[in-house]
Amino acid sequence: MIATVVSIALQLSLVLLLSPLVSGIIKTLKARLQTRRGPGILQPYRELHKLLRKGMVIPESASWIFSAAPIVVFSTAALVSLMIPMISAAAPLSLFGGVLAVVYLLGLGRFFLALGGLDTGTPFGGLGSSREMTISALAEPAMMLAIFTVALSANSTNLSEVAHSAIGQSWRFLAPSQVLAFAALFIVLIAETGRIPVDNPATHLELTMIHEAMILEYSGPYLALIEWGAWIKQLILMTLLINTFYPFGLSTDMGLLNLATGCASYLLKLLFLSALVVLVETTNAKIRLFRVPELLAVAFVLGALALISTFLF
Amino acid sequence: MHFYQDPQFGERMITLMAALVLVLQIAMVAQRWLVTNIRVFAAQSFLLAGIATTIAYFNNAPHIYFVAVLTIVVKVIFLPVLMERLVVKIELRQEIKPLINVPLSVLISGALTILGYVVAESFYHPEAGTTPATLGHNTLAVAIALFLIGFFMMLNRRKALTQVIALLSLENGLFLAAISLTYGMPLVVELGVFFDLLVASMVLGILVYRIRETFDSVDVSKLRRLRG
Repeated sequence: MIATVVSIALQLSLVLLLSPLVSGIIKTLKARLQTRRGPGILQPYRELHKLLRKGMVIPESASWIFSAAPIVVFSTAALVSLMIPMISAAAPLSLFGGVLAVVYLLGLGRFFLALGGLDTGTPFGGLGSSREMTISALAEPAMMLAIFTVALSANSTNLSEVAHSAIGQSWRFLAPSQVLAFAALFIVLIAETGRIPVDNPATHLELTMIHEAMILEYSGPYLALIEWGAWIKQLILMTLLINTFYPFGLSTDMGLLNLATGCASYLLKLLFLSALVVLVETTNAKIRLFRVPELLAVAFVLGALALISTFLF
Repeated sequence: MHFYQDPQFGERMITLMAALVLVLQIAMVAQRWLVTNIRVFAAQSFLLAGIATTIAYFNNAPHIYFVAVLTIVVKVIFLPVLMERLVVKIELRQEIKPLINVPLSVLISGALTILGYVVAESFYHPEAGTTPATLGHNTLAVAIALFLIGFFMMLNRRKALTQVIALLSLENGLFLAAISLTYGMPLVVELGVFFDLLVASMVLGILVYRIRETFDSVDVSKLRRLRG
């Protein structure tokens, strides 16, 4: 019991502290690759600090949903982050359905975010919400197929067991089903975190923005919660990718040395994946909104092929 | 025994590369830019050369090394350069306009892949185990899928040059099937096939150029009209 509480507290603090840092690293790497200096990797912390101190402006037309949305977004993301194996193969929490709970708790957060965008009745919020829902409706099947592939080869939807079985089979990550599922899930990661081929996180241009349009009315601590929630969600998806497909270094017990190697390899893998995301973001141009379904159709087919090839190879 | 001498390892590498070849084929269906399409084809051929090298290594079959080198020279370097020059020369519009829209074509390619798997399943005998001689048998499904998707791409595209790319990727499927089932045909046959391909592509290239000169377009649907 105490061990569970301790591991929950540790993982929660790790997630809360690490998620802004990952975002900062991605921003800085991207700036460096484009020969800019960039704001420095600690900028997200400064932003959080600034936003949390500021006052809020709540639109007159807003109902309780407007205030509830940031809290739901943040708390679902934080809850989900406890259900995925990060440093040790055993996650602190495992709720009903394992990975299904992960996907749909994130879905709940997104649903409330979209409601919050619609709530004030401004055209931008509605536009952002409608685009966000379109994209996530297309990304979800691809994500589920990729996840089912992994769950199928582990015979369990529980993420801890998935990680355990992945550690057991050393060359499994080379299997075609795993490679295809990884590719599908990577496209989903790009789409869900609003990165460049799908959405540009660094712009407030009316014609193209998706995530930013939804949260245009938010300010102060609410905005901080939403941004933080988004960073946590990004960290969750990245962790899901690296730890279910490449579980090297995940510690299987609670020994200090194992946890230290687990921590080091986790950070290293995270850095690699961030670099990959940066590379994709820098070498691609943002695609037109009507082309996004094409990208996600590719992800869907990759996921479907991954699922089929588990039965055949 | 080192892990790189283990047929199991070779099997995994081949399966992995075959899966990547398949991914690139679907990327070709989804990709709208002509030049990117040509480069994806080059990358795909490079992976095929990798598969050939792996099979050659585990079977101690030097003539397959030769085939791999030939693949790299012809399909990774020569043909893509030739096609890219042609694109510049005839000032082709970069964007490919397929007859069926992209999401649907991608889904059709997925369905064709499943068909390939179903057909290949009867040839697959996992109980035979992994020896150098059975290396790459499980890539037959990918080979059939490449063939079918290449065929579909040819039907789906209007411009002559894009059809040439589809034809070449279809041939990649044939190459994969041949090399995974027979560890390379006799060298004479391989050489013949390569020469055939080279000449065919060059003739097609000239043909595309002539079509463009005569009709001011490389849209093959315009070839119905007679010109003096």
